[in-house]
Parts: sequence; structure tokens; C-alpha cells
Amino acid sequence: MATPTYTPLATTTLASSASSVTFSSIDQSYGDLVLVISGTTASATTPIMRFNSDSGSNYSWVRMDGDGSNDTSASGTYTGASFGRIGTAQSVIIAQIMDYSATDKHTTILSRGNLPNDRTRAMATRWANTSAITSAEVIADATTFDTGTTLSLYGIAK
Amino acid sequence: MELIETVELASSASSITFSSIPQTYTDLVLKLSLRGTDSGTGGGIVRFNTGGTYSTRRLLGSGSSAFSDTGADNFLVNSSGLTANTFANASVYIPNYRESSQKSFSSDSVQENNATSAFQMLAANLWSETSAITEISIEMFAGNFVQYSSASLYGITAGSDGTTTVS
Repeated sequence: MATPTYTPLATTTLASSASSVTFSSIDQSYGDLVLVISGTTASATTPIMRFNSDSGSNYSWVRMDGDGSNDTSASGTYTGASFGRIGTAQSVIIAQIMDYSATDKHTTILSRGNLPNDRTRAMATRWANTSAITSAEVIADATTFDTGTTLSLYGIAK
Repeated sequence: MELIETVELASSASSITFSSIPQTYTDLVLKLSLRGTDSGTGGGIVRFNTGGTYSTRRLLGSGSSAFSDTGADNFLVNSSGLTANTFANASVYIPNYRESSQKSFSSDSVQENNATSAFQMLAANLWSETSAITEISIEMFAGNFVQYSSASLYGITAGSDGTTTVS
């Protein structure tokens, strides 16, 4: 049997709609984290993650989108780490949080958002903080995750 | 992540199929290394079971320009006109493949070519059916996959490590 490289850390399937989900006491023994979201939201959104309860404007991002007819790119700063894209059609987001347990660098998040009736997206986000990530609050941002949406966190071995 | 099966073609073929996929994982991942016999732009489609419709939103870069469309291909294949012995590579993530909902899946792929032009593609894809995925077929739109093209299917299981909590 092959060695597992996606070690399951925690998962939830929402029994009712929710504006946020929090992963706490995150195991510090991995190199990277991967968050996979599969499901829908009440309206299309770019969700955010807040690490260690930091709600300051300490998160910068750059993204490129394709909506089926136009290609666009944008950048900005926000009060959470913007990542991916999700909406009313079945969607999938895959976000890799690099070197999350390091204490000598800012944290980078690389994400892919897939909302098939809206757009595909690639995004890079930076948390301007050198702390190890021990908690991540995943926020739908101005909408809610629908019932049945799953959020799973994995550890990638160093 | 566990390897379920790898297929490497011993001879040219129009498709690669994984049948009787175990219903024991949460998500599936495909890793593809593909070259085709056709001289066209080079693309193919991942199909599940039988029936249903597929829709995509794609973002492509050619080496000199970028564009977006809703083309049917959801991964790239190296066409016969690209540098000999090079293969396109693709990664496809299929979450919740056993659930009774429409299947959204993500695909990233890139061609290899020792020249200024080669495509990269990011695609958001949807299969309209709600049945569990028991079979995956990787198909060319034109021509065949050449010998040594390969596809690996992996399973990922979600769960708890007993330390990390979610609320």
C-alpha cells in the first residue's frame, strides 16, 4: 500500500447552514495543510480564512479568473485570507497553506476555486505574520455555507 | 492519499478506463501523463459512469496570451506536432465522488513543448448527474493516446486525527 500523503486532520459536513467553521488546535507536525471545500453557498462568494483570530488587514492577495469569456486579474488587501470561489452551483475549492508551522516566514496560501457556472480561479494569498498557525476560521463572508457542504483539513508530511 | 491503480498504455488507445472504483474514499485524484496521435490542439475529457452532461469554465495561457472559454476539453494532451517524447501533464481533483449531488471537479493541465508556444489550462468542471462515481474514462476528442501515456488514480480519505477540532 502506498504511503498516505494527505493525512486527515478534521472534517465536517454541515448539518445546517453556517457563516463560518473553525479548525482549532491544529497539529503542528506537518509541512503544509490542505483545505478542501465541496458544496455550495447561499450566494457566490470568495471565502476567507482568519488565522489565530487575526482580523487585521494583514492579508494580501493576487488572483486570475476565467469566466468562460473573459480572463481577468486583480490584487488587494483584506481582513482575512481570501481564497478560491464558491457559489450556488456545486463547487470545489482546494487551498494549500504552505509551511504553516514555521515561525520565520510569512504564510502563503495557494488556492484553486471552481464554480462551474461562474468561473475558474487561481489565487495566491499572504498572511503578513510569522506565527505558526494553530487555528483557522473559514468564513463564507457576507453569505453562508449551505447544509451538506463539507470542509476537510489534511496534513502534508514534511 | 493512496494509489488505487496506475495504467500505462502498452500500445496506442483511444481511452483509459478505471472501472469498479472502490467506494471507500472521500475524494479521488487523477494524475495524467498524455500524448496523442492527432496533430490538432490536443485535448480530452474525463467522463464518469454513463450519461449526463458536462460544463466547464476554462482559463488558458498559450505562452503569449491568455483567454477564457467554455470548451468541452477539461485537460490538455500533447499533440503529435509538439516536441517528440514530451507528454502533457494533468491533475484532476474529484471531491465527494460517492455523494448524491452533482459532481464539481477541478482540473489543471499543461503541455510540454521545446518552443515558445505551449498551453496551460485551469478548468472548473461540472457533471450534471448525482449518482456515485463508479467508473472514470479518460478520452481523446480526436485520435488516440500514444504508447506510454499513463494515468494514476488515488483515493483520499477525510477524517479526524483526534487533535485538531472543528466547530
